[in-house]
Amino acid sequence: MTIQRLVFDAAGLIAILFGGLMVVARNAVRGVLTLVVAFFALAVCYVMLLSPFIAAVQVIVYAGAILVLFLFVLMLLNIGHMPPERSGRPMQTFLGSVGVLVFAALLLGTLRGAGAAIPATTGMDPAALADPASLSRQFFSEYLLHFEAVSVLLLAALVGAFVLARREKKP
Amino acid sequence: MTLVDWLIVILRVALPALIFPVLVIPLTWVERRGAAFIQDRLGPNRVGPFGLFQAIADMLKMFTKEAVTPANADKPLFLLAPAIAAFAALSTFAIVPYGATLKIDGREIELIGADVSIGILYSFAIVSLSVYAIVLAGWSSNNKFSLMGAIRSSAQIISYELAMTTAAAGVVLAASSFRLNDIIAMQMRPMPFVGFIPQWNIFIQPLGFIIFLVSAFAETNRLPFDLPEAEPELVAGYHTEYSAMRFGTFQMAEYVNVVVSCAITVTLYLGGWSLPGFHPESILGVVISILILAVKTAILVWIFVWVRWTLPRFRYDQLMRLGWKALLPLALVNLLWVAAIEMARMAR
Repeated sequence: MTIQRLVFDAAGLIAILFGGLMVVARNAVRGVLTLVVAFFALAVCYVMLLSPFIAAVQVIVYAGAILVLFLFVLMLLNIGHMPPERSGRPMQTFLGSVGVLVFAALLLGTLRGAGAAIPATTGMDPAALADPASLSRQFFSEYLLHFEAVSVLLLAALVGAFVLARREKKP
Repeated sequence: MTLVDWLIVILRVALPALIFPVLVIPLTWVERRGAAFIQDRLGPNRVGPFGLFQAIADMLKMFTKEAVTPANADKPLFLLAPAIAAFAALSTFAIVPYGATLKIDGREIELIGADVSIGILYSFAIVSLSVYAIVLAGWSSNNKFSLMGAIRSSAQIISYELAMTTAAAGVVLAASSFRLNDIIAMQMRPMPFVGFIPQWNIFIQPLGFIIFLVSAFAETNRLPFDLPEAEPELVAGYHTEYSAMRFGTFQMAEYVNVVVSCAITVTLYLGGWSLPGFHPESILGVVISILILAVKTAILVWIFVWVRWTLPRFRYDQLMRLGWKALLPLALVNLLWVAAIEMARMAR
């Protein structure tokens, strides 16, 4: 086992652990902070997968911008401690357990297949992909349609949020 | 790798990280004496020659004072915040080349912490994490003034980060690389038509330089943008509840941030360690190249001090308006301008 693999596994474990902590956190601010740690650990995983560019974007966009905005809103509204969830919701408990079981099965399946060689889908050199220049060349040639489609989707989400949040003008 | 290789790696990485905390000592002296000079008074001049040791005396004082933790503070986060501030401040410099390539015994040693392909993006990532230091400090203190400072700061840093990265995108476009080594190499070429001027980005995209510098003031929370700690309204903003060396850590981080953002500005827009007609080969040349970077950075740092004691503080709505309605559109204009130049260069 190489040191790279060790760092990757450790970062992956931290990401999963803090992702889970975020779900159960009763304090909203602490929830956001655990998510920051999870995202940062994910960025470390990307670096270990030879994709420093994606790692940097992950930290800049998610940890550095979106989660700061979350914190900003939480602090502005001063949302503190949430009261503990009241029990006696059989339907939710049942659905939740089914979800956990399905997830556990998927996780087991993934872990069992982890030793197998991953089939090369693109046939590209992973080291060449790490270079930001070749990455952007891919974006603006082979994957241009996907790239533009995602940007239109994001724009639609933006406009949608604006429409929902806008105050109705009284006639 | 042999032992010598390991030593070289450790030295070239650790040296810049260790030198910045030491730089805070002369910098506070420059700041306080400079302020006094601008305000027509003397400033601290009792400790050591010209008051040079005042900062050391202050530091000893901070180390020996009691570190108070407020009773209702969130203790782990309260302690974590200054640590994040110091970490972010000291690790931003890693991708800045601080001198020409050193050649000893057939070895070529690049004077840079880590020459990664994402270059300047790494710095932006660390800077975007440094906002958590301020936000956490403000929130965990459980104090209204601290919280106000933290809220202001998170909005301010995000707003100016946009203008800053868009301005830097112009430089990246011109060099077609994120690597600061490539950006310096691009600036070492002579300018077309007027060959005696170096091709520094400040001459090609002066608008981008101004936007980047103004954003750097905002990102380091310096006057005229020091709204997060505006003392007439917020006592001391996010670090109101901090005392002793915990406060000192925030102070140190601020000064280190000033020096590092000046060094990055020098590298992006003022040619870094290079000078026109200067091609260092010997060890002496490399030392001179480090000094060139230091002098250029020192000049910019003095501009930071100068501006701090000259301009009044912005109001919060003015700050936001400047960021979103002036700097960001101008940064986009700058980007278009650089793109047009590059198109013309490719067509030629």
